[in-house]
Amino acid sequence: MATTASPYPVRERPNIPSATVRLPAVADYEQVDREIIATLRPTLGWFACLAIAILCLLLGISAWMYQIYSGLGVAGYHPPVMWGVYIITFVFWVGIGHAGTLISAILYLFRAGFRTSIYRCAEAMTVFAVMTAGLFPILHLGRPWKFFWLIPYPNWRLIWPQFKSPLVWDVFAILTYLTVSSTFLYIGLIPDIAVLRDRETNPVRKRIFSMMSLGWRNSDKEWRHFTRAYLFLAAFSTPLVLSVHSVVSFDFAMALTPGWHATIFPPYFVAGAIFSGIGMVFTIIIPIRKFFKLQHYVTLNDLDAAAKMCLFTSMVVGLAYLTEFQIAWVSGNQYEQEYFWNRVFGQWAWAAWIMLICNMVLPLSLFSQRLRRNPSWLFILSLFINLGMWFERFVIVVPSLSHEFEPWQWGSYAPTWVDYSILLGSFGWFFMWFLLFIKQLPVMAISELKEVLPPRMRFAHAGADEHSRDAGVVQAQVTGDYDSGEAGRTK
Amino acid sequence: MPGIIGAFTELDSTVHAIEALRRGHFDDITAYSPTPRHELDHVMEHPPSKVRIFTLIGGLCGATFGYWIAVWASEYWPLVVGNKPIASWVPYTIFGFEVMVLIGSLSTVFALFALSRVPRLTMTVGYDPRFSGGHFGVWVATTPDRSKEVADLLRQHGAVEVRHEA
Repeated sequence: MATTASPYPVRERPNIPSATVRLPAVADYEQVDREIIATLRPTLGWFACLAIAILCLLLGISAWMYQIYSGLGVAGYHPPVMWGVYIITFVFWVGIGHAGTLISAILYLFRAGFRTSIYRCAEAMTVFAVMTAGLFPILHLGRPWKFFWLIPYPNWRLIWPQFKSPLVWDVFAILTYLTVSSTFLYIGLIPDIAVLRDRETNPVRKRIFSMMSLGWRNSDKEWRHFTRAYLFLAAFSTPLVLSVHSVVSFDFAMALTPGWHATIFPPYFVAGAIFSGIGMVFTIIIPIRKFFKLQHYVTLNDLDAAAKMCLFTSMVVGLAYLTEFQIAWVSGNQYEQEYFWNRVFGQWAWAAWIMLICNMVLPLSLFSQRLRRNPSWLFILSLFINLGMWFERFVIVVPSLSHEFEPWQWGSYAPTWVDYSILLGSFGWFFMWFLLFIKQLPVMAISELKEVLPPRMRFAHAGADEHSRDAGVVQAQVTGDYDSGEAGRTK
Repeated sequence: MPGIIGAFTELDSTVHAIEALRRGHFDDITAYSPTPRHELDHVMEHPPSKVRIFTLIGGLCGATFGYWIAVWASEYWPLVVGNKPIASWVPYTIFGFEVMVLIGSLSTVFALFALSRVPRLTMTVGYDPRFSGGHFGVWVATTPDRSKEVADLLRQHGAVEVRHEA
């Protein structure tokens, strides 16, 4: 970018937020509009990624059609292991969805500054992850077209669901979570869609944006109710995050199966869910900030703060793993002890060690500030976390079912090509929606980014003047290479 | 009602203009800003939003319905298991909680829409697309005999554009 003349003295300054300057390389509201709206232009790379995602999805749909035609037997289920890849992947995707609400709601209530630039992506990720997760219990049904029998509604059969069953709890928890997180996403989007509506020149798109923005005008009355409603939605979403994965953990903890029947499961699942979700946030946000050239919005400080959260949740998850072993050890319960021995040193050692290394050992690298501020390492680590968290669910589901109380209940499990295709299809489904989202709607919350910028002042007080001047100086010096050098200094 | 619309580039100018308008007994004022600003909240002196009442009522109704549907369905189709209660409040708290969150959230959204008067079919009067970008705005509904006074006041406080709208 060409350097423009600045009326202020030029001095070097890192692209690092401070208490007074949150986005040092962003000068004004117009720059936010210009740069975020510029991300909506489709590119060849985007079309290529979308094509790959749709291909994966088609593969998954084909495998599912084959499964419906042939029966669940093609899915690798083999007594005694009658829960497999579908339940594992269900828990995996529900977990992914948790970081979005954590970042958008809980960090909103705590006023965490680094949330502003990443929460929109995380929130969209939540909605699409829960949409993906919701498919898997249906895929797992022998007669998937009867799934609505789990919903309580007046019917000619005069029967109602069993309200003491964890599967019915799941239905309520997941549907509530999907509805509330979609609502939260849409409400936050309304002012940004109004920005798109006001800048759009294509009449068809302008009309669509007009309808989607509901005639939003940024008036004081609208903002007054908006900020209140947003706060209450955040307050509702916060306990919802904790409840949903607790309910998912009850699917396991309510059974007497060794390895499942533990009171530690709800907090263990919630911590794991948030950890895996943060991993997926890194997987998504790091390429976005690079390819959309948004490094001055998602700064190294933001990544650093998110990495600390990742490290903390990794240590909570690690503690939960160790506590499980300790509980089995002191319980004096032979079945529990046998099960945990078999998990780590027996039949499923390979899966357990993938889990332990990816989720407990590798994240310890984040104690290094240099690595926390290295986007490439964070991206690579996030892939390991995604892998490790999928294997965590594998280790929870399969070893327990394959090693219950009696020797006749001991068996093995191997997924088939149908399982793998549907697993791949789920990634295709998720990324298809996400890719469509990022080219139709802003990947960052325009109105919230403006909120952290200093507004223009005619008679500014000293602090605000310094604030605006600093931002202006840095804007004039920006070269586009925000992460190079020591902690991303601008040149 | 016809009125005058003024566009400002600076926040403090907008605030000062609104203060002057209020001193001049113009009560039907709307302020526009690209993002929520507490300065505008203060100068407009609005009462607290009533969204919270809808949230509270929605949440209470949701919790009641969540418990009720589970208890009623269990009584209607009893599954008798030795000495266990047919309707057990402990697991039914999950339904009470989830439906409370669901209905409470939807009521909050309903309140936002109802109190903000959205969806709105037209926005041509008293709005400018710049207000979602980098400009602040003030709309004053006034009678034609006082419109010159309003326009002068807005210009005097730094409005970059003043427009009459009907």
